[in-house]
Amino acid sequence: MTTLRVENVSKRFGTLVALDDVSVNFQSGEIHAVLGENGAGKSTLMNALSGFVKPDRGKILLNGEPIPLGLAFACKRIGIEMIHQHFTLVPAFTVQENLALARLGRLASTADAKKLSKPAIDASEALGWPLVPQVRTGQLPVGIQQRVEILKAISGHADVLIFDEPTAVLSPDEVNDLFRVLRRLKEEGKCVILIAHKLSEVLGIADRVTVLRRGMVVASALRADVDAPTLANWMVGEMPPRTVRGTAYQMEGGLQAERLTILGDRREIAVREASFEVRRGEILGFGGVDGNGQVELAECLAQVRPALSGSQKWSGKEASNKLPRIGYVPQDRQVDGLALRMTLQDNMLVSGMDRHELWIGPFVKLKAVARWANSLIKRYSIKAASANDLAGSLSGGNQQKVVVSRTLDNAPSLLVVVNPGRGLDIKATEYVYDMILAARDNGAAVALFSTDLDELYKLSDRVLFMVGGELVEDSGAASMVGGDR
Amino acid sequence: MNRLLRAALFPIGLLAVLVLTLCVFRLPILDSLKLLFSGAFGDKFAWSRTAVKSTPLLLTGLGMVVAWRGGMYNIGGEGQFIVGGVFGASVAKFTVFVPHPLHGWVSTILILVACVVGGAAWAWLAGWLYVRRGVEVVISTILLNFVALQFLGYCASGPLQEMKKQVPLTDSLPDSVMLPKLSRQMDVHLGVAIAILVAGLTYVYLFRTRPGYRLRLVGESTRMARANRIDVGKARIQAMVVSGALCGLAGGVEYLGMASQLGSGFSQQWGFLGIPVALLGGLHPLLCIGSAGVFGALFAGSEDLARFTTAGSTLVYVIQAVAVLGYVGIKAYTDKLPVEGAL
Repeated sequence: MTTLRVENVSKRFGTLVALDDVSVNFQSGEIHAVLGENGAGKSTLMNALSGFVKPDRGKILLNGEPIPLGLAFACKRIGIEMIHQHFTLVPAFTVQENLALARLGRLASTADAKKLSKPAIDASEALGWPLVPQVRTGQLPVGIQQRVEILKAISGHADVLIFDEPTAVLSPDEVNDLFRVLRRLKEEGKCVILIAHKLSEVLGIADRVTVLRRGMVVASALRADVDAPTLANWMVGEMPPRTVRGTAYQMEGGLQAERLTILGDRREIAVREASFEVRRGEILGFGGVDGNGQVELAECLAQVRPALSGSQKWSGKEASNKLPRIGYVPQDRQVDGLALRMTLQDNMLVSGMDRHELWIGPFVKLKAVARWANSLIKRYSIKAASANDLAGSLSGGNQQKVVVSRTLDNAPSLLVVVNPGRGLDIKATEYVYDMILAARDNGAAVALFSTDLDELYKLSDRVLFMVGGELVEDSGAASMVGGDR
Repeated sequence: MNRLLRAALFPIGLLAVLVLTLCVFRLPILDSLKLLFSGAFGDKFAWSRTAVKSTPLLLTGLGMVVAWRGGMYNIGGEGQFIVGGVFGASVAKFTVFVPHPLHGWVSTILILVACVVGGAAWAWLAGWLYVRRGVEVVISTILLNFVALQFLGYCASGPLQEMKKQVPLTDSLPDSVMLPKLSRQMDVHLGVAIAILVAGLTYVYLFRTRPGYRLRLVGESTRMARANRIDVGKARIQAMVVSGALCGLAGGVEYLGMASQLGSGFSQQWGFLGIPVALLGGLHPLLCIGSAGVFGALFAGSEDLARFTTAGSTLVYVIQAVAVLGYVGIKAYTDKLPVEGAL
């Protein structure tokens, strides 16, 4: 019988409280799921258990003995293994070499590698996971790579196995197979800890569930005692009041997207058959946890990323034939929004490429640009000495104002905004929100992507959620965390 | 204010480097400096030498400025310079060395245009390879330099060889085709004025036109450019083509102004030397006039140093290298913002 007790553990990163007086009990013969939204503190807690992060306060006891805090190798030696979300394999090494590497032994020859990896290879056969030991791991599909990662952990004498969001990269079949293995490990008497944010998976496999929110334990319960809505409410907390403004301003026309399928950066399908309509004079909110296809969809609407299939029609006409004037406020203002080493003027000019008053033929009228930039600075009360300041010298809020001001000053007919309030103080946030609402009232169709529920409900007239690249209707907390699926 | 201070520090730093180098080479410092100075600025002939040496440096330097501003680390100025020259010599074969040659200045212009086209085409290849196939520009341009050099060797001893077929050189251009000179005794030719004019045009292109603005945006932040629907690939290829055109022009000016014929020694590393010129010119076209002038003067002056040492122009390369390393080091230290995707 193995027990792992976490007692009053706290951890801060700068001003961010990642873990706030967390106490949990894990025990063998159980699959214990730790649930929470992004940034709830799940990964920090697991990193504390496995020695990758040293808690500021508190104790962690394995079978009553305190574990060496913040010492990953030492934790590995006493039987706590972590299976990382981002693989820790050496792509140029063979399966055998990677498995051997995990045993922390002498690794000078193929014979060493063979000997050291023997237990892992045996375990793979016992689990029904045939592996070719001589293949380079970099050539294997992710599902198989994860098996190697798992085998690395279980081939030793681990009593505690921590899985950090193992299903994120797997197909449904692979998930089922992984769960088979997790159950088997449980039956072997291991203590299995599973981090997840997909409710349906957790409900399918966990024996006990602990929910974290903002670094604190909200609740810990047996699976049998809870259902999806309860868990969702625990994860998300009190739903913010819905101040939906209704359709008073809605106007004729807008953007109709039909069955949009969009590829992500790794050529995976990021958005699948999304159909919706954003009418002029309304804000359509897209909610959901980060990484469910929001950025890809936003880029597609902003005509930055092509769609694999499907169509976008503007007031009935194909959007690609006759583009409406599009304004795009990307998520990461420092990367996608601004060129930090260029002046404010240069950063604003990117939205003024088609403004006739700023150009004579191909030549820029510098004085006119300076006048325009200074007027933006004044009208949007951007705190900068002059339009010649470097964009990188401004505070985050003022940087966001630069992006928003140059975009809205073009009076776009379609406005695509991603997490507009992220990282801003209250005053700047309110300001940016007012600008977005004003754009809507002036007849823009606004697509708002936000992972912040408060923001989403505060601004949107209608809300959809994105889960695994698909759109789902708003059905409260559950849709936020994908409970329906 | 800060800018002025830096501008003042620059010549002081360069002088310090110069003195230090002379120390290392165990040369008499004052006498050497005097010789260097008189060799570069002592009389009108010295001035002329300095101007002529600075000209290809300025043009290849401008080429580097354009490419690097667009985020394309073109190290292939040498190859573009050479291929430009070869294109020019090929055109000369049909306009000058025929029974009924074209009128002098018509040939001059045609040859110059061919040089520009040749350099641009050579750079376009590297740009296309990067945008379409992801081949790193640093690598492809360096390798294309060697290809260009072999190509020149082949042409000079093959299709473009002089009529008597005795030496691996192209035919020497008659004076009527060469760029006009200020006087018979001096080397100064029209190319000097062309280079300074082109520096001004490059400035206008980069800082006052729409394509130049796009190019700088892409160089500073491809992500930002992309999010604003700017065709990043197009801007990158354009940066390479313009850069190559400038290096090709450098080759043309050298061919029509000084060399008059091509052989394997056609480029005295002018393409590579453009890189320090561009860097010390702060990647600014107009400041490059100054940095090209400084290095041109060093080259011109160091010829007389042969009295003391056999090192000669090696000295200049050393000074250049130290100056660039110093500059890059100081810049890395003073730049507070993160440098994304630098060399």
